Amino acid sequence: MLIQDLTTILARRLRPLRLLIPALSGALIFVNVAAAQGPVLNEGWELLARYLYRDAGQVFEQTPSTNTRLISLGRAASLLNEPPVTNGKIEQAEQLLHQIVTGESNDTTALYARYLLARIYHMHREASVPEIEAAYRAVLQAGPGTAITQIAASHLALVLLYQRTDLSLDQRLGLAQELESAAVGPALPEVAMSYYRLLADASLFYERVSPQVVDWLEQAHAIGSVDQLRQIDLALQIAETARAVGQAEKAQKYYREFLANAVPTDQRYNTVKLRLHELEDASS
Amino acid sequence: MKPGKIGIYLAVALLIMGFSYSGWQAFVHSSDESANSDVEVIRLAHWQLEPGVREAIDEIAADYMKLHPDVKVEQLPIPGKVWKQWLRTQLVGGNPPDLIEVANYQITDEMLARYFVPLTGYLEETNPYNADEPDLRDLSWRKTFSAELVPEETVHYYSHNLLEYYAVPNAMVTVRVFYNREIMKAALGEDRAPQTFAELIETCEALQAYSRRTGQPILPLAGSIFNITKMTASFFSGTTQKLAINLDYSHDLNLTTFEGIVAFMRGRWSLDTPAVRTSFETVSAIGKYMSPGWVQLDREDAMLQFLQGQAAMLSTGTWDAGGILQQAQFEVGAFRVPSISPDDPVLGKWALGPTSEANIFASLPFGMTRSSKHPARVIDFLRFMTSRRSNAKFSEMSTWLPVIKGVPVPKVSEAFRPISDGYIAGLIVQNYGSQSTSIFNQNVYLLSGEKASADAYIAQTRPLYPKTLTEEMERVSKVFHDTVRQKDSVMTGLYELNREAGLAHSKFDIVAAKQLEVEAQKLQAIRAIAEFKAKNEDR
Repeated sequence: MLIQDLTTILARRLRPLRLLIPALSGALIFVNVAAAQGPVLNEGWELLARYLYRDAGQVFEQTPSTNTRLISLGRAASLLNEPPVTNGKIEQAEQLLHQIVTGESNDTTALYARYLLARIYHMHREASVPEIEAAYRAVLQAGPGTAITQIAASHLALVLLYQRTDLSLDQRLGLAQELESAAVGPALPEVAMSYYRLLADASLFYERVSPQVVDWLEQAHAIGSVDQLRQIDLALQIAETARAVGQAEKAQKYYREFLANAVPTDQRYNTVKLRLHELEDASS
Repeated sequence: MKPGKIGIYLAVALLIMGFSYSGWQAFVHSSDESANSDVEVIRLAHWQLEPGVREAIDEIAADYMKLHPDVKVEQLPIPGKVWKQWLRTQLVGGNPPDLIEVANYQITDEMLARYFVPLTGYLEETNPYNADEPDLRDLSWRKTFSAELVPEETVHYYSHNLLEYYAVPNAMVTVRVFYNREIMKAALGEDRAPQTFAELIETCEALQAYSRRTGQPILPLAGSIFNITKMTASFFSGTTQKLAINLDYSHDLNLTTFEGIVAFMRGRWSLDTPAVRTSFETVSAIGKYMSPGWVQLDREDAMLQFLQGQAAMLSTGTWDAGGILQQAQFEVGAFRVPSISPDDPVLGKWALGPTSEANIFASLPFGMTRSSKHPARVIDFLRFMTSRRSNAKFSEMSTWLPVIKGVPVPKVSEAFRPISDGYIAGLIVQNYGSQSTSIFNQNVYLLSGEKASADAYIAQTRPLYPKTLTEEMERVSKVFHDTVRQKDSVMTGLYELNREAGLAHSKFDIVAAKQLEVEAQKLQAIRAIAEFKAKNEDR
């Protein structure tokens, strides 16, 4: 009785607000759910970033579906490495990514899905080199000037450098270098730096030490890395390569840079001092 | 029921749901907090049963508990023989200790990622327990370590694949030759430690002559695979440094195992390469003074030989120093494994000088497990443990070398101080993958005893290396492949987490760059294997 009376009084008193209260409450719940979805999605991304693929997959499956394409991207990324990794899961991931791409404009989610499809062809299932190449080029075409393009271009460079066995070394290096404008940009400086290193390292791997290699390494060095140790390694690599191609002054400059920035306990420190002295003695 | 009442009931129901939701969230958080409100227990597990280590950790824990009365630190020393099984059970069981000693040959990248917390971010903050140290207080925690935790290929505290620090070391260890001063004095007429390889051979010769002269069964060197390979690694490295520079096709003064194998597959070196042959000759030169059958002996047997005065010298890591000093009934000396001098007319042609030991032996690294109930407290304890004051205490009590800048090396450990002004390492054939190590261990008898012969060893093992090193390259290629593939999922997560704040130099950017570099190595491996196989088929 008491509850009924209370309700009647409330109904009478709050009659003017009878439409406003449900609306406000509904809005409150909506905001709660929407706000909850953000953190839940974030939890999924965080789990993925921490290598916890299965846990991430479960989170994406349970996430309320207001942005199904983004959730599908998360599920596809989780499936690629969910243990045990199977061909069935890779196929499932591929289907989810195709669904994201089909009929949609080139928004970031679609672009990333295209990129992941290229990665699946390249690293997660056996695909032919032309198929892999075409998939990366599709990403370049779909989103020029973006961070995703930068990475796709750098991976494509690797395909050209190591998997196009039908081409000569000069042709491979030439084609990989043509990707420079796509691979180097302000969105991802660390990737841009890696792109130049990939060119240099490929040339060195094929035992071609040339002034061009020194140039690539210097371009990488000019971009710079937040990782101090990476920058220090690069200075030494430039010094050693410059020395090998007879650019003694440049070699000395970068040896000195290494010695100024590396910790004296670095295993290479003393050897660098020795090699710098050798060049100094030779030039005096 | 009137429509107005339905709206009111709906509103009340919705409000109740809203409050219930909030209440549940509050309850979840309060439950977590109540779990933390009890005494905080930090459990720390390791396998270092050497004398002094447990006592030192106990003392440091006691200091910490005095400072923080609501904290209890429990030490769990687990014997090395059961460690691996114990560790897996603990991790899979879901209730592992908060801190666990990690070693990269026991804990895979997947285990690190699943069970351990990355410490990279913490290491870039300062260590408050160094606040009273003017030279350390403004440095990042990482930079307070003697060698600043530079990530080398072999270190345990950093994962090259995951690009994260996962542990914090507490000591340094080096390899030294311990010797019986009394025997040495009697044999040489003075207590003199050999400084060069030639002097080491002379010392062995004098000890052998002394044994024959006196009729005492004293061996110059105590032997076991564990002990002797510590010494031979140094000989391999010290005789091939210039060769390593020539083979280092990436031109960064760091011949990695990967590059060494590629160079081998391309025919740039073989067991017959003069520098490599010389490295085997150093091993056979010293192997002449080893006891017959030493290959079958284990670490404990070698230690017993030395402690019982049956062998004059024992090569081992400084982790054994405390035990040796405590148990030996004679005066013990120690010296560095003699390096090959570049001036040595026979062995020094490809040598630069002693190999640097500065960073590779950072030891006793503790990682924090994800299931820890008090991560902030655990990090705080780790910082306390690696403060200058605690590290000095640890070093003093355990005789292990300190790992923090400015901590004095205990007098008794002076001979263990790492060579920090040495040169790069050479080509260490015995360490080119587990199969390569097996080849060496199974055939090293050819390099020991009266008939020790580098030629015999090379003739016996020459046919084995091409297959072994190709298989090692295939294995490495698979590891690269798995790493690269995993990063595709990881990077998707990082992309979504980082993109709003800007991707430049973000973790996404850094991981993407690392993935590219690992992928390049994977493709290089495939290319090297294909070229090697094609070349061999043509023959």
